[in-house]
Parts: sequence; structure tokens; C-alpha cells
Amino acid sequence: MAIECLVLGAGQEVGKSCVVVTINGKRIMFDCGMHMGYDDHRRYPDFSLISKSRDFDHSLDCVIITHFHLDHVGALPYFTEVCGYNGPIYMTYPTKALAPLMLEDFRKVLVDRRGEEEQFTSLHISQCMQKVIAIDLKQTLQVDDDLQIRAYYAGHVLGAAMFYAKVGESAMVYTGDYNMTPDRHLGAAQIDRLELDLLITESTYATTIRDSKYAREREFLKAVHECVAGGGKVLIPTFALGRAQELCILLDDYWERMNLKVPIYFSAGLTIQANMYYKILISWTSQKIKETYATRNAFDFKHVHNFDRSLINAPGPCVLFATPGMISGGFSLEVFKQWAPCEMNLITLPGYCVAGTVGHKLMSGKPTKIVLDKDTQIDVRCQIHQLSFSPHTDSKGIMDLARFLSPKNVILVHGEKPKMVSLKERIQSELRIPCYLPANYDTVHIPSTTYVKAHASNAFIRSCLNPNFRFLKRSKEENSDQVLRNTNSTAPLQVNDERVAEGILIMEKGKKARVVHQDDLLLMLRQKKHDIQFGYCCAAQLENLVETGNRDGALSHSDKCSCLQLLFKELSTYFSGVNIQDLGEHLQVESFQVSVCLKDNCPYRIIDSPRKEAATIFFCCSWSAADEKLAREIISAIERFNLSDNLPCKNSK
Amino acid sequence: MEHHLLHICLQSLKGNNNPPSLQALASLRSLIINPNTSDSTIYSILETLTHSLQLSTNSLTTHHHILKLLTDLASHRTHLSSQILNSIRSSSLLFTESTQIAAESLTSLASFSNSDQNKIDDQLFMSLCFAATSASARLRLLRNGERLGIGTHMLFTVFLGFTKDPYPYVRKASLDGLLGLCKSCDLFEDISVSEGCYCRAVELLQDNEHSVRSAAIRVVCEWGQMLIAAKEGNDKIAQSNQVFVQICSMVRDMSVEVRVEAFNALGKIKLVSEDILLQTISKKVLAIMKEKNSHGQCTAERFEILASSYAGAFMHGLEDEFHESLSLLMDMLNDDSMAVRLEALEALHHMATFDCLNVQEIHMHMFLGSLLDSYYPFMASFRTWRDILRMKLMSSLFCFFMGRSHGNFAAHIVKEVSQEIEPVLEGQLGLDSARVAAFLVLAISAPLSQNQNGQIIPPRLFSYAVTLLGRISCALSEVVDQDTLLAYLSQCSRSSTLGAEVEVESLLPVVDDVVLNRTKKDVNNPVEAPMLQTGNETSKVQPVTSCELEYLTTSIVECQADELDEVMKSVNLILARVRDAWFLVQSRCTNVALRALRDCKRELAMLTSTSLESSGAMAFTLQYLQVMKLFAKIWEHAVWKIRSNETGGLEYLFGKLDMRLRELRLSKVEISCSPATMKKLSAIISHIEILNDKGSIEPSNILMDAKKTVHEIESSKAGISCSLFLITNLDDFFTLKQFSLCSRVRHINAELNVPGNDSENPLRFVSGLPVAIPLDITLYNVSSENRLWLTMRMSEESTQFVFLDLNILGGCNEVKKFTFMAPFYRTPKACSFSLWISIGKRSSFVLGSEGVKGFLIFHMPRILIAFSLCFLEAGFIS
Repeated sequence: MAIECLVLGAGQEVGKSCVVVTINGKRIMFDCGMHMGYDDHRRYPDFSLISKSRDFDHSLDCVIITHFHLDHVGALPYFTEVCGYNGPIYMTYPTKALAPLMLEDFRKVLVDRRGEEEQFTSLHISQCMQKVIAIDLKQTLQVDDDLQIRAYYAGHVLGAAMFYAKVGESAMVYTGDYNMTPDRHLGAAQIDRLELDLLITESTYATTIRDSKYAREREFLKAVHECVAGGGKVLIPTFALGRAQELCILLDDYWERMNLKVPIYFSAGLTIQANMYYKILISWTSQKIKETYATRNAFDFKHVHNFDRSLINAPGPCVLFATPGMISGGFSLEVFKQWAPCEMNLITLPGYCVAGTVGHKLMSGKPTKIVLDKDTQIDVRCQIHQLSFSPHTDSKGIMDLARFLSPKNVILVHGEKPKMVSLKERIQSELRIPCYLPANYDTVHIPSTTYVKAHASNAFIRSCLNPNFRFLKRSKEENSDQVLRNTNSTAPLQVNDERVAEGILIMEKGKKARVVHQDDLLLMLRQKKHDIQFGYCCAAQLENLVETGNRDGALSHSDKCSCLQLLFKELSTYFSGVNIQDLGEHLQVESFQVSVCLKDNCPYRIIDSPRKEAATIFFCCSWSAADEKLAREIISAIERFNLSDNLPCKNSK
Repeated sequence: MEHHLLHICLQSLKGNNNPPSLQALASLRSLIINPNTSDSTIYSILETLTHSLQLSTNSLTTHHHILKLLTDLASHRTHLSSQILNSIRSSSLLFTESTQIAAESLTSLASFSNSDQNKIDDQLFMSLCFAATSASARLRLLRNGERLGIGTHMLFTVFLGFTKDPYPYVRKASLDGLLGLCKSCDLFEDISVSEGCYCRAVELLQDNEHSVRSAAIRVVCEWGQMLIAAKEGNDKIAQSNQVFVQICSMVRDMSVEVRVEAFNALGKIKLVSEDILLQTISKKVLAIMKEKNSHGQCTAERFEILASSYAGAFMHGLEDEFHESLSLLMDMLNDDSMAVRLEALEALHHMATFDCLNVQEIHMHMFLGSLLDSYYPFMASFRTWRDILRMKLMSSLFCFFMGRSHGNFAAHIVKEVSQEIEPVLEGQLGLDSARVAAFLVLAISAPLSQNQNGQIIPPRLFSYAVTLLGRISCALSEVVDQDTLLAYLSQCSRSSTLGAEVEVESLLPVVDDVVLNRTKKDVNNPVEAPMLQTGNETSKVQPVTSCELEYLTTSIVECQADELDEVMKSVNLILARVRDAWFLVQSRCTNVALRALRDCKRELAMLTSTSLESSGAMAFTLQYLQVMKLFAKIWEHAVWKIRSNETGGLEYLFGKLDMRLRELRLSKVEISCSPATMKKLSAIISHIEILNDKGSIEPSNILMDAKKTVHEIESSKAGISCSLFLITNLDDFFTLKQFSLCSRVRHINAELNVPGNDSENPLRFVSGLPVAIPLDITLYNVSSENRLWLTMRMSEESTQFVFLDLNILGGCNEVKKFTFMAPFYRTPKACSFSLWISIGKRSSFVLGSEGVKGFLIFHMPRILIAFSLCFLEAGFIS
């Protein structure tokens, strides 16, 4: 079982977000966007890659739309109505409400203004929307027996959500676009700590770290205020949803505070309708707005009026919000034509403008003339202010999210390649999470987690429930060399509670896997518990002792004792800090025991010929497996000892 | 009855070894609960229950019930609790299945009894803990651990062990327990124990459960502080930093609860390296940090991770949509470390600039307390102040209290600010006047503090404050009334003038002849263009000022008055000193000169006006002084270029001058019997205008021209003694001649009053019907040719004018006093409203030499009238 991630759009680019993920056999399409920069076949994702036979109903289990931006939802009517997908589509309530507005508006622009043949009709849009199943935040929805999805708040725009999908034990999150810092009207993205195999995140600002939004807000307000104070008119071309509302809240607030009387206008149409939706969907906005809602709906702008075309040339200052955002045509262009030639006026530009639009021309350099077509030229003498508000998270936000979720893999989409590469490096080096940035039409394979269900025995469960903690005093770096030496230096207390580790997994043929407690196992197998003891008989040099002792080679009891004493002293000095116990017959360190070996043929002795040399004395050691390392160290130490030099009872004649 | 019941129960319970029936237990319960049950009965019940508890045949439920009954018994008869506790204690270990109940009973029992002997011993507690298979029982035990009087070491061990429990609530409870231990005892002499606990909590910061995470933050904070306390020197700082960084890493948690906890914890940490704090302010990894690291030992990569974990922690806090983080910043202000406070203030400053600081009352005290810290670097506080004062919430009242209680500090600030009060305005008068007012309030309140040592507030500030009297008194209305304030201000501004006078006098001979023929160099700033605009701005403020001062318009008549009363004499003396002061201005001693001028002003204020004429003269002199002061300041700017870079200041001064001159000019034009003065005045205007136009004339030319004109002037116009100013026709030369006032000055003034009206006693009106407003009007020196009108303004939109026909109202004498019933027609449909009434006067005057006719409205005192709705009698309506 594996997770397979096919990127149909927004791979190493921004636009037409579309990722098809196969988890444990279930296929989900996340987002179905269109590319605003292309007019040809590249506008839509290449859906044929999903299924050669174009039988989408069977090859896809569901489609999930994160938010209503066209680069995330633009191709949906085309996919459902033209390509013929009839399966379930999931999106949040606000997205379901606002997406048709966006789609319809876009369709109009395509057909009415550019005169292109339409890819989908109004009917298509409404039919498509009928297939949509709305989902609420944190609501877990069982798509079928195996697949469950859940939406989390993402900030970004009204109704934007991150989606969690789980099939069996494999789980993943697709973030869509999100924002980790709250803005004036939307909160920050919020998600639970989940066990994830895969996180697919946007990376629009993969390298940018933005500082406080307050500075940006202040700049904007200052520019607008100065212009208005000087009697100028301010044109704010915005998209109907999102930025317009944020800026409007900002301005309305400021107007209130500064007691300004200059009118703020909203150009009619979509924006007013959108404001209405914002008013209704108050629960999707930020905490602050929700709090103030008790007294006042923040989207009931006090100073905002509807704009009438006759007001374009009305004297006196004013502020006007007009669509579309990039001054690509429509009302904002009309107003721009009128206002641009006057120095007093101000045009604010959104953070991003598509090449070819007036907005883009204004952004690049400071043109004095803009040629619209052969007959129309606009003198641009007005001031231009560039907005730097963005509803996307910055690189710190992406890192924070990845750190918080700690998924097993990360896939970056929706960004520019060079920046994504540097973010990828950071994720891999700082978070140690493998990271991928597939290009369009690439597929990434990721091993998924599969769990085997095992039956747990009662004893095992009880052992899990009962606390079984031990306190350990260990140094932080547990190197083999330092285990002994460093035990008494800076050793923070550590708690150890290994209850689960004491289970034993039994997998028998034809039976379900079981986890049992070790006592169970003995019972099951009708066996007794055996402990493995290691034994070794090591030799130590001890010349002078022989002279004093019995010449037959059999050491007396007192000799034995003195030898052990000697060894004890040596070991104590060598391994200072280790608790060595002298138990008379033998010395004990943890499970390691050492005693003097008097046998001629000790089975644990490795030396070929038992040399009966007086200078050698044998110590029999035994230890259990747990203290293997310790035992090795002690033995090698004993073998190196030359006990004769500092023999305490040297009775030389 | 009681005995009967008991008998039945005991029969059923005692007789055999069978478990008691539920029925019997129920009746026992009723006996236990009943407060009238006799003691003997209770004892026998207790005995029975204790006996049946020992029975091994009991089922789990029965056991449960018996334990419950015993607990109830203990709660109703507290004197028995120890006995019951003992019996439960001895039996509870027998029944491992019912440990939960046993634990419950024990904990509740232990809570009933207060004496120490009733506590559970460590062994029992431990065994219960380990035996409790259900998480809830364990939870209960852990939560009540401290109440049960278990030894601290034992508790610590248990708590620490259970932080590994698979149940999050148990983990949380044990963390809470650890937190409690930290507070209750300090007997952990072994530092490694504390360290172990701290490390364990740090591990749990990454717990999946948010409640555990927030509990872990608390533990990290508290135990971290214990560790910090235990260490010395550099280790201390390092440890503190470590704790701080650990908590900072939690600032971006997804759970609000955790974030709040983290911010609170951050606020408690007393000592943090400055660089780390700096880093918390910025989201980007700062360069200084990188530098520092380069000679550190940890690898760059590791470091980067570390730094980024706490980078911008504060910024995140500020941006958080849940606004608890603010209190953290306030907490930081209480910090011991200067760097921390600095940073916190910096952050506050940051916030204040963006107008998002919502300081609560409680916090404010703390905030100010920190500002008052004598160690505190002065400039930082000043800067913060400046921005803080921009806040709406920062009321003048607050400044007042502040100044009063901390005179020294206020004096400090004022000293710094006074140099800048005017230049700092930078043309944004509308925005900043509130700030200036706040400073002034601070200044005037300083002398009220008890410990005023050394720092003396410059008296001129008090005179500034006089000009803003209305605003200030309005703000301080809760503390002092306007009259008291005025008296206080004038008293303060008068004091300590003697020294300055002497100084000026001694300086005079030195500078006298040196400075006469100074030439005026070009004004090197092209800022005069928007002068008019500035003037307009000023004019918005002006009415307020002037109406408070109550001399609105003055006029002079240069006639041959032969009587010079005392007042005139002293006024002329003052005027003489003005000329002297002007020399000072020319000799670059602007500050001395200004001080002299202010002294003059103060002296003038001391004169008591005996007659109408003298008060007019005084009003005129005051304005003259103000104009001179402005000239002096302009001179300083333009000629000496002392502050030539502060273009805004000059611009502002010109605007102010323009305004003053206009006032003066008006009065003259109206009389139009002083052609000489007129000429001078128009010359001033043109002079200023020319100044404005010529931004860049080569110095040599100016010198040449100037010298030429000096001769001209001296030959031609030296004889004129009673002119105001002597100004060259050319633009470059300006000198002041002696001017003595030998004439009668008429002061045109109007007083407006509505008898017996204030917000408490409003006038009655009927909505929709006209209402008559009784006005007591006193006019001084207003001839009947003048056209006066009343402006009644209710709101921006509804303003009504009523003309006053002076001919009808009465004769033309110097003081006209009458009552006028002013009708107000458009009463609103509201319960109450207020009305602003002012008197306007129309006059024509000649502007400059071209003779352009213009109109100007005089701003006369305005009054606020409150109305409240009255209901008509029924008879009137029908």
C-alpha cells in the first residue's frame, strides 16, 4: 500500500491547483482550478491523465475544493459538465455559496468582454453546484466505508479550508491556500495535531518572511489619508471578495477614528452581494469580528455607500472600491481612465497583477502614458501605491505548520520553483522530513502506513494500564564510552515507563495476530522462563601471590578473599562511580558477577592449555544479556590488570 | 422508630455472613442522613458496616455501597471520620477491583478531616495509585495528592512517574501536581531532580493533547525558574535563556489555550539576554544573532532552527487574533532586567504607533510605574511617551495624575520636550495639539508633586498652558475647575521671572551696537508655498484659543489722549523692553529674548485693569507681544538658520504669525485712522510674501541692497516715533523701532451668557416647535453701524443665524448690556440637544495696498446650551 500523488496543476507554478492523490486505493482530487495566464489548452488541468478512458466516476472517489478562488475551482464546471464527472464534490458552505459567483463572473468576462467561446455555461455552473456536498469545519464526513475527510479552518479567504483525508490508517492533509497570521477579517489557520503520512502544502511565499502587518496597514492608511486630505480621489481596484472586505474594514475603522467624512464607495454588483455573504457567514471570520458581532456586524460599514456612475466626476475627495483588481477592464478601468490624469488622485494596486493588464503596467516602472489601444491613451499623473497585503502564509508559517503536524512526508505545490527548492532544503534539514516538489504531471510515490489489527490479551492490557515507571539517571549523550564514566556527572533524571514494550506479538498461521504479555506467552507455550547468562573465565596476572600461597596451586579461602579484595580495589578505582558490591564470595556490578575460579578445566575458559603458571589467577565472570556492554568493559579491564605491583600483603622473604 | 429500623437492618446484616441486601443498606442510609439519629445507633451502624466491609463474599456493587455509606457517615459525623478512615484503609487493599471507590472514599474522607493523623500514609497512596486500573481513579488520587498529606518526595516521584501515563488527563494532573509541588516546597536540594522534572516537562511540550501542553508550559516555567534561581552567574543567564526559548517555541501553537499560557509564562521570566529578546521582536533571523553564533560552538544549522523557533514570538503575539498577549507585554514591564523592559516598551511603542494599543487601567499603572524607573534610559521613555500620547485613551487627566505623583519624572520629560514643543509640531497642528496639550498638562502638574527637588518647570510652559486653558480645564474637569486652574497657572508663570530680567538687562549694553545693521539673509527653504494652508489649519485652532482668552479682537485708536494713567505707563515700559529684546534677537540670543518677551507678558498679566481703556491697551499689548515672539522665532529660523532643516517649524510659525497679524490688521482697518500703522502692517505682509517668494538670492546682492536701504531708512524715516515697526521696502532688512503707546485703545469684545443653564438645568423645549433662548449679551466698543449676528449651531448641517439690530436694541455707548431672546426654530425630534451659539461681526477692511475688500467673521465667545424636551400639557395640544 502506498500513497500516490499525481500533480495535475500548480506543480512548481501558481495557478490551476489540482492534485490527485491515491491513498490505499482511494482516489481523491484536491482542487480543480484553472490557470489565469493561459487561454489555450493549458488553462485546464489535463484530466485525461486520471483515466485514459475518461471514466472519471469510477477512477475518482471524490473531488474536494478548498476555496472559491478560480485557480482552485475554475475548472470544476468544465470537469463535471463537459468531462462528465458525476461523483461527489465537497466544499465548505461559504465556498459553495461564493464559488458560483466567481465562476459566473469569470464566464461573463470570458464571453462578454473577450468574446471567446465559452467553455461552460451558466447552466453548467448551476448544475455543477447541485452536485456539491457542503461540509462544515471540523466535521468528519465518511465518503465511503474507508475514506473519511475533515475540513479545518485555513484563513486565506472566507470559507477556505484545509482538508484532512484518511483511508484506513493512512492519512494526509491538503492545505490549499492558507494564512497563519490573522488579518482584519479572517483568523489564522487552525488544525489539530494529526498523525500524517503526507502533507501537501502551498508555498507561494516559500522564502519570504513577513514582519508585522501593522506597518503595511499604516502605510496604506497614510497614503489614502494624505490623498484624501489633499482633495484627491482614491481608486482601490480589488477583487470582489477578500481583500476588498479587509481593506474596507481597515478604512471604515480608520474613518471612524479620525472622524473623516470623505465618502467611501463600493462599485455596485458583485461586491455588494459579496458583502452580504460576509455578513451572513460571520462564523467564518476572525475571532475579533465574531466578538464585535454581538454589538455590530463589522461588515455593516458605516461610511460605505454604493457608487453611482454619475459620481465619477463629482467634485471632492472620495475613496472607491472597484472591480476587477488588476484594472484589466470593466469598471475599474473606466474609473482609472477618468482619474489617472489628475495628480491629486491615488491608485492602489494589489500585490500581484497578471502581465498584460493595466495594473501590471503600472507596477512595472512608473509610466506616464498607458496605451490601451490605438485610439486611447491615458496620461498617468496620479500617485500609485502598491498594496502588500497577502492572504498567503509566509515561509515561517509553512515551517510552523509542518513542524506542528510533523508529517512523514511533505509535498510542496503552488509556488515558484527556485523558492520551493530552498524551502525544501529547509524542511529536510531542519525538520528532517522528506520533501518533494513535483512538477506538473509528475507522480510522487510515498509509502503509507499500514496497521495490522492485533488482538490484545487481557494481561497485556492490564500491564499497559498499570504504571510501570522507572527512574533512570542517564546522561544525555549515551555513548558507549561514556556510560560508565559520566553516570554521576550532569545526569538529568529520566522517567521510563515501558509498559507497551513488554508485549509480545504472536503471528501464527491461520490466526489473527495477537499481542500478549510475557507471562501469557509462558502460559501459552507451557514453558518456563529462562534467563540467559553469559560466562567467561578470564585470567589475570598475579605473580607474587603465588609465592605466598599454597604451592599446589589451590588457593586457600583467605587467598581467594584477598584476590577479590584486590580486584575490588582495582575495579573501584578504574570504574569510579559505578556501584560495585563486594559480596564476599563474589563481586557484583549490576548483573555482572565475578568470583575466583579454582577449577582446572573451567568450561568458560578459552585458553587452550591450562597453563599452571603461578603467575595467573582466573576469575569466573557471568552476566546477563542486558549488561553485555558493561561486562565486556570490566573483563577487558581485568585482563589488563597486573595485580602484583600493588599487592597489599606482599610477604616477600 | 429509629431503633426498630436499626434492629431490622442489623438483623439482616449481622446475623449471617451473607452480603447485606440493598434494602437494608438503603434504610441505613436514611438513618445516617437523619441528623436526629442518636449516637449509639450511629455507632452500631458503623460497627456493622465495618464488619460487612471485611466480608470477602461482598460483590463489587455491595462493596461500593458500603464504602459510599461510610463516606456519607464521615461527612455527617466528622468526629468519626478518622475511625472510618482507618477501617477503610485497612480493608481497601483487600479489594483491588474496587480501588476506584476506595480511592474516592479515601480522598473525600481525607478532605473532611483536618487533623494530620487522618492522612493516608505514603505506602497506601502509592499502592492505590499503582493498583488503580482506571484512569479516573488515578486522576482523583493525583489531583488530591497534596490534600492527602503525602510526603513531598513520594508525591514528586508519583507525579513524575505518571507524566508518562498513556492517558492525557493523568498526564495533565501529574503535571499540575508537579506545579503545585514547586510552589509548596523548596526542599529539592538535588538539582538533578529539578532538572529531570524540567526536562520531562519540556518533552511534554510536544504532547498531542493541548491541555497537557499548556500544563507542561506552566511546569516548564515554574521549575525553570527554580533552576534559574539555583544557578549563578553566566549559568543563570544561560538557563533563563533556555527556558525562555523553550516557551517561545510554543507561541505558535495551534491551540489558543496553549498560546495564552505560553505568553503568560513568557511574562514571568525575569531575565533574558537582550539578543534573544531582540530576536523575538523580529520574525527574521537577525544578523546579530548569526554573528554571535559564528564564534559559538553549535553548528549553524542547529542554530538556525533554534533561532527561528523563537524568532518573532512577540510579533506573533501582537498579531494574534485573541488579544490576551497584551497582558504579557505589560507583565514584561515589571521585569527586573532593564533590557527586557526596554524591549517591552519598544514593543509597546510599536503598538502605540499603529494605534492598536488598548491599555487598560490596571496595566496603565504598571506601565507608568516602569516609565518612572529612575534607571530607565531617558530617551526611550521619551520616545514612547511621544507616541503613547497620540493614543486616544491617553487622557490628559492621566497626565495630570502622573505629573502630580511623579514630579521629578515629569520635570525630566518636560525639560526634554519643552525644547521641541513647537518645532515638533511640524505643521501637523491638528493632529498634535492634543499631544502638546498632554505635555503641558504634565508640565503644570509637576509642581504639585511633593518631592520636587531640583527640576523646575520653565514658567513659560505655564503661559503656554494658559493658551490651551480651555482644552486643559475640560480634560481636568474632574479634578479642578477652570478658574482655579487659571489662577494656578498665572501664579506659576509669574514666579521666578526676576532672575531672567536681570540677565537680560545686563546683556543689553553688550549687544546693543553690534547688531544694529545686521542683514537678513535669504530664507533657504522653499516651504512657504503652503503657508496659507498652514494658516488655515491654525485658524481652526485659533478660535478656541482666543475665545478662552476672552480678548477676541482689539482695536487701537491713535488719538491725542493726554491722560496717561498708571497702566499706560507700565504698558509703555513693557513696549520699551520689547525693543530691547529685539536687539537680543538680532544678536542671536533668541532664547534670552524670548524669555524677556515672556517676562513682559507675565508682567502684563499682573497689571490689573482699572478701566475699559486700559484693558483694551493691555489686550493689544498682549497680541503685540505674541507677534513679536513669533517674529523672534522666525528670525531665528530664517536668519540664523539654527533650525533651518526643520522646515515644518518655520512653516508653522509663519502660519501662526499670519493669523496673529490678521487679528491685529483687522482691528486697525476697522478704525482706519492710522495710515502710518497701516502702511507698516501691509509692509509686514508684503515683507513676508516677498520672503516667501525669494528663496534664493545671492548673498552679495542682498548685502549691497541692504546697506543701501539702511541709509535710506535712516535718513528718511528716523523721526517717526509712534510707528509699530519700521520695515524697509526691500525685502532684506528689518529692524524694530521704539514704540510707545500714548493713545487710548478700544477693545471690542462681546460676552455671551445664558442665565441659569447648564447640563443639569437645561432649557425646556417642545420638539418641532421654536424655542426662545434668553441671552445676556454684553458688548464693548461695538458701534451701532456694526452688524452682528448670532450663529446657532446644533450640528454640522443645521445652523441658524439671527441678526442683531443694535439700533433697536439700544444706544451706542461703550458698554452695552441687554437681554435678547433668540429664537431657535428647528428643534429636533429628540429628548435633548445642545446648541452652540456664537456672535459674529462683519467688517470690511483693506488688505494691503491694493485695497482689496474682504470680509471676515469675528469669532466671539461661544456658549453651549443644553436643552431637554418638555411635554406640553394636554390642554395645549388639544
